[in-house]
Amino acid sequence: MNLNIKSEKAQTYDAIVVGSGMTGGMAAKELTERGLKVLMLERGYEVKHVEDYKTAMKDPWEFEHRGKITNVAAEEHYASMYFSAKEGTQYLYTNDKENPYIQKRPFNWIRAYHTGGKSLLWGKQSYRWNREDFLANAKQGLGVEWPIGYDDLVPWYNHVEKFVGVSGQAEGLDVLPDGQFLPPMAMTAPEQHLKKSVMQKLNRTITIGRVAHLTKPQPWHTALGRASCQFRNRCSRGCPFGAYFSSLAATIPAARQTNRLTVVHNAIVKEILLDSQGQKAKGVRVIDQNTMEVREFYAKVIFLNAGTIGSTSILMNSKSSRFPTGLGNDSDQLGRNLMDHHLSVGARADIEGFENDYYFGARPNALYIPRFRNWGNDKRGYLRGFGYQGGASRADWARGGTETGFGADFKAKMTQPGPWKINLSGFGEVLPDPNNRFYLSDTQTDKWGLPVVVFDADFGENERAMRKDIMNDGAEMLEAAGFKNVVPYDNAVAHMGLGIHEMGTARMGKDPKTSVLNKFNQVHACKNVFVTDGSAMTSASNVNPSITYMALTARAAKYAVDQLKARSL
Amino acid sequence: MNRREAVARVAWLMGGTLSTPTLMAMSQWGQTADKQSSGLSKADSLLDDSQREIVARVSDIIIPRTDTPGAIDAGVPAFMDVMLRDCYKKPAQDAFVAGVRNLESKNFLALKPDQQTEILKQVEASATPSATSPSFWQIVKEVTLLGYFTSEAGIKASFDYQPIPGRFEVIKIKPGQKDFMYGNQV
Repeated sequence: MNLNIKSEKAQTYDAIVVGSGMTGGMAAKELTERGLKVLMLERGYEVKHVEDYKTAMKDPWEFEHRGKITNVAAEEHYASMYFSAKEGTQYLYTNDKENPYIQKRPFNWIRAYHTGGKSLLWGKQSYRWNREDFLANAKQGLGVEWPIGYDDLVPWYNHVEKFVGVSGQAEGLDVLPDGQFLPPMAMTAPEQHLKKSVMQKLNRTITIGRVAHLTKPQPWHTALGRASCQFRNRCSRGCPFGAYFSSLAATIPAARQTNRLTVVHNAIVKEILLDSQGQKAKGVRVIDQNTMEVREFYAKVIFLNAGTIGSTSILMNSKSSRFPTGLGNDSDQLGRNLMDHHLSVGARADIEGFENDYYFGARPNALYIPRFRNWGNDKRGYLRGFGYQGGASRADWARGGTETGFGADFKAKMTQPGPWKINLSGFGEVLPDPNNRFYLSDTQTDKWGLPVVVFDADFGENERAMRKDIMNDGAEMLEAAGFKNVVPYDNAVAHMGLGIHEMGTARMGKDPKTSVLNKFNQVHACKNVFVTDGSAMTSASNVNPSITYMALTARAAKYAVDQLKARSL
Repeated sequence: MNRREAVARVAWLMGGTLSTPTLMAMSQWGQTADKQSSGLSKADSLLDDSQREIVARVSDIIIPRTDTPGAIDAGVPAFMDVMLRDCYKKPAQDAFVAGVRNLESKNFLALKPDQQTEILKQVEASATPSATSPSFWQIVKEVTLLGYFTSEAGIKASFDYQPIPGRFEVIKIKPGQKDFMYGNQV
């Protein structure tokens, strides 16, 4: 008995953070910097910043398959093979064969079970939501009303952007609010031409992507060992310069500097444990992914940052007499309103007339075209909107694969910069729909005995209607610039999950009867459990979500610490 | 520029802003740079010796030795074997083997260079992928280009290789400008 009490004390922290990715890192940083002793639980293996980026400095010829995916790897990583994982990056993607899930309707669940999570894989595009994004649900009677507005997040966007380091150009637009920016990256000559033409002829703004790369590191960046972007565009193999933001390069080191962070790896959280009254969480039960050993850890407050599906699954698995269908599921909203951004639709073209224009360096960034549909006086036959990412570059030797010819002249030609090409790829908002959901299987379990996730979600009429405009409007802009062979496209393979922006499934809201989390990301019915990753999202906007998740996390962390100090948690 | 020079250059560029662990990890990479063994044992190949010779010859006609190395110099034939085995599915492998047999039946290796080129032009003109696989020509050409233009010999002879450019800058082309290669293509 005495022993147990002792060991319970040894495993007790002020806060437990589940997950080490984008929001887990931010939660750990904010909570430790505000004085809490934090335990971070990561279900996957340990990746150490810099030294474990084992392919980051490899030259092309050092890859046995020169970057291509082998048949074996494709079978093991089926979710991420469409476009994400390559030979040099696949070790950072979760093996789907070992971690199976069920697709009732097609869904690609792309995961990164290791330190840093998907913050090592993200596209780094960082856009604030606008005021309307938080109001649209209420105005249109869709989903539920957001319990917070843009103004609630402004100080937290400021706080997070400054720490992260986001390069971009301020434009003064309501549709895409400006943030705390490092210097913007340059646009190529045809991109500048497109920007000018589209403004003149269509009155639409094109800006350089706002991206979490250090273009001019500030003292608080270099203090963590982060340095300027080297324009290699090998980001997906891990950045040894810490130039792009990841939890591994930035938030976790910041949390470690406080000496209040403990990280445990290979710890799969099975469930949240409640106190004897069954109203408050007292800790978590974890399974070691290698040894199967079951352990418990205890804390006053728990932050779930396991990724949208991961965090909600933990809530679903945490069944008790008070919560028979999962912790905080009084509203039956756990797992529902699964959203993503829809993509793989847009337009491309060839560019003539810029043969003497070129660029030095590989820019890990693109153009951004903010939403212009259903905005201001524009009214369409569908709801919400979309933006574009894309850009112009010169084709390389790989163009030879589709060009006729071979031999000495052909070889010489392939060593010259190829023709300019441009692509505009749309990212559209997906509406919240309670029938787009995931749940846990009643019958199938994984090798740790945990129920397997079942996805049952798809795009609806609204998304399909929007895709027509994404194609046509993209083509229209490329034509406005006078580009040649304009081709609108809509990839039929596009389905949920490919955007890797899973959102919803434990939404925020004002009413505990219709939502899982309150305005500070607390589970309505279990106030010392916070969920601050994508699961909390009440709607999806059309901009990339990570910076918003981080702002929500930092805000919730401050609130949690204040409540702990006031002894009201 | 080799890796060690690149690392030194970056450290210099950044004015020593890199932390010691970062620099140590980088020089570790420099010391342990593993050389990939390329090629398979013959037993693993889908082709026999003379068929492998045909494929080697075809790749060297696609990317011949000129004032710079050719496909054979850059190790493309062995790479072709590896790629065919590891990265193509059965229908594509079958289409490839059928394509090689077709050349075999024409006694390809015994023909004069002009005749070989002529035959490959015909193969290219009649290459149509089936519903289940790319054509022989598509595979042999793509893998040759990939194998050559990502090889050390091919890259260093063909491009202005910049493993760590350090900046992004919009520029005008200079006379005789080679394509920049950044090492991000794999």
